[in-house]
Amino acid sequence: MSEETVFSTETEALPFELERTPPRADGNGWTRCWAYRDAVLVWAGLLLAWSLLSALVSQGPNPLLPSPAATAQALWESLPELWRGTVASLLILVPGFALATVLGIVTGLWVGSSTRLQRALFPVARVAAPVPPTVYIPYAIAILPTFRLSAIFVVFIGAFWPIFQNAAAGAHALEARHRDSARILGLRGWEYQRQVVFPAALPHIFSGMAVGLGFAFILLTVAELFGANAGLGRFVQYYADFADYPRMVAGIVYTGLVTYLAMTLLDRVRQRALFWLR
Amino acid sequence: MSDGLLLDDVSVYYGAASILDRLRLEVPPGQRVSLLGASGSGKSTLLRLVAGLLKPSRGSLSWGGQPIQGASLERGLVFQDYSLFPWLSMVDNVALAVGKARPQADKAERREGAGHFLRQVGLEQALGKFPFELSGGMQQRGAIARLLALGSPLLLMDEPFGALDPVNRARLQDLLVEICEIARPRKTLVFVTHDVDEALYLGDRVIMLGSAPGRIIADLAVPPPRRRDRRTLFESTTFPRLREQIAAQLHADTLQRLVA
Repeated sequence: MSEETVFSTETEALPFELERTPPRADGNGWTRCWAYRDAVLVWAGLLLAWSLLSALVSQGPNPLLPSPAATAQALWESLPELWRGTVASLLILVPGFALATVLGIVTGLWVGSSTRLQRALFPVARVAAPVPPTVYIPYAIAILPTFRLSAIFVVFIGAFWPIFQNAAAGAHALEARHRDSARILGLRGWEYQRQVVFPAALPHIFSGMAVGLGFAFILLTVAELFGANAGLGRFVQYYADFADYPRMVAGIVYTGLVTYLAMTLLDRVRQRALFWLR
Repeated sequence: MSDGLLLDDVSVYYGAASILDRLRLEVPPGQRVSLLGASGSGKSTLLRLVAGLLKPSRGSLSWGGQPIQGASLERGLVFQDYSLFPWLSMVDNVALAVGKARPQADKAERREGAGHFLRQVGLEQALGKFPFELSGGMQQRGAIARLLALGSPLLLMDEPFGALDPVNRARLQDLLVEICEIARPRKTLVFVTHDVDEALYLGDRVIMLGSAPGRIIADLAVPPPRRRDRRTLFESTTFPRLREQIAAQLHADTLQRLVA
C-alpha cells in the first residue's frame, strides 16, 4: 500500500457494480432481460465450459472435477450442514465486523478532523495498516482463550483499517463550506461530529465498509482453516481433507453466494443512507 | 470602544498578496451597510473576518465592545453558495439553528420554530424537502431562514440574493429590511452585493471597496427614510445621483486596476 492510502478518497462505486439506473427501467420484463443478454450468455458459457471440462475428467464416485449436476446434488444434500456452518461463521463475522465498523468510524472521524491527531497517529497507522491481517491468526489463536474469540479478533483487525482510513479521509475531506456553516451555527464537539462530520463522511465510510467486509470474509474463512469445528471455511477444508470434491466445490459456491448476499445488503443500506447524494 | 462593529487597521495577507489593506470601519448598532466592490476587492474576506471564520494578519475587530475571536451566534453569516447541509431536510436544517438560539426548546418546538422561519421566506411548500430537491434560489432562501433562526443581532450576508429571480429578490429585500427594523434593538446588517440598486435600497450607508489590495474608496450615506417605498425611492432625484456617483467610482477603480 502506498503512502497515500491514509488520505485515500472514496471510490465512487463498488467493484463490478452495475450502472445506477438499469437500462430501460420502464420496459417490460422481456426488454429488461434482453438488456442483460450478454451477462446471461457469459453465465451460460461458463456453465457449459464447466460441464465439458468435467466430462473430460473421469466422473467416478469421487471425481477430481465434479460436474455441475454432481455439485448441485452435493449442495442440496449439504444444505443443513452448510446452514449450521453459516450460523457459526456469522457468529464470528458479525461481532468482528460490527466492532470494526463502530471503532473504525469513531476513531477515524475523531482523528480525521484534527490536524494534530493526524500528525500524531497517521505515521503509526501507515506502518500498522498494511500488515497483512492473516499474520495475526496464529498469535491470536495462541493467546486468546477460545477459537471464536481469536477469529473475531482477526476479522476485526482486517475490517478495522479500511474503515478507519476511509472515515479519517472522509472527515479530513470535509468541505470548507460545511465546516464554516457548522462554526456559524455554533456546532462543536460531539454535536459537530454527529450532525456534520459523520454524515459528510458517510460516502467514504461506506467505501471503507465494503472493503472491510471483503477482508472480513477472507479472514473469517482463513481463520476457520486453523481450528474451527464448524463454519464455511471449515466445511470446505473438511471435505477437501476427505477428497470429497463435490461437497468441497458446493461449499465454495455456497460461500461465494453468502459473500455476494452480504455485499449486496451493504450496498442496499448504502444507497438508502446516501439518498441525498446526486 | 464602539457598541457596534469596529474594524481597526485591519489587514489580511495571503503570502505576498495583500487582500485587505489597513481597513478602518465603524458601524453603529442598528445600521444597515451595503458593501459594494469589484470581485477581488476582499468583500467576502471582510465578512469572514467579522464572522470570526478568519483572523486578520494585522489589526483588530470588535463587536459590541468585545474583541472578535472565533465564530459566535451574535454574528450570523449567509454564504454566497447554498450552504445548507444536504443530508438534512429544510426543516431539520433550520431546526439546528433554532436549537442554538433556544437551547431549552424540545425537538417539536425546534421544528415548529423552523417552520415559522421557512414560511417567512416563502418556503411553506418545502418544509420536508431536501436541498437537492429544490432550485438554487429556494436553497438560498432556506439558508436565509436558517440565518434568521439564529437570531443574531448582527447579520452578515454575502451576495445572498444573487441566484434569485427578480420577484423573490424584491420580496426578500423587503423582508430583510422589515426584519432589521422590527427587531428590538434593531439588527445591524452588513450586506455584500454587486448590484448598485440593491445596495442603495437596502443600505443606510454604502461602502465601496477598491481592489488589489482591498480598501475603502467611498463611504456614502443614503438619505432617510429607513423604510423605503421602492417606487418613491427609484423616482426620487437623490437616487439616480447616488447611483451615478457609485457607478463612476467603480468604473474608476476598474480602470485604475487595468492601468496598474
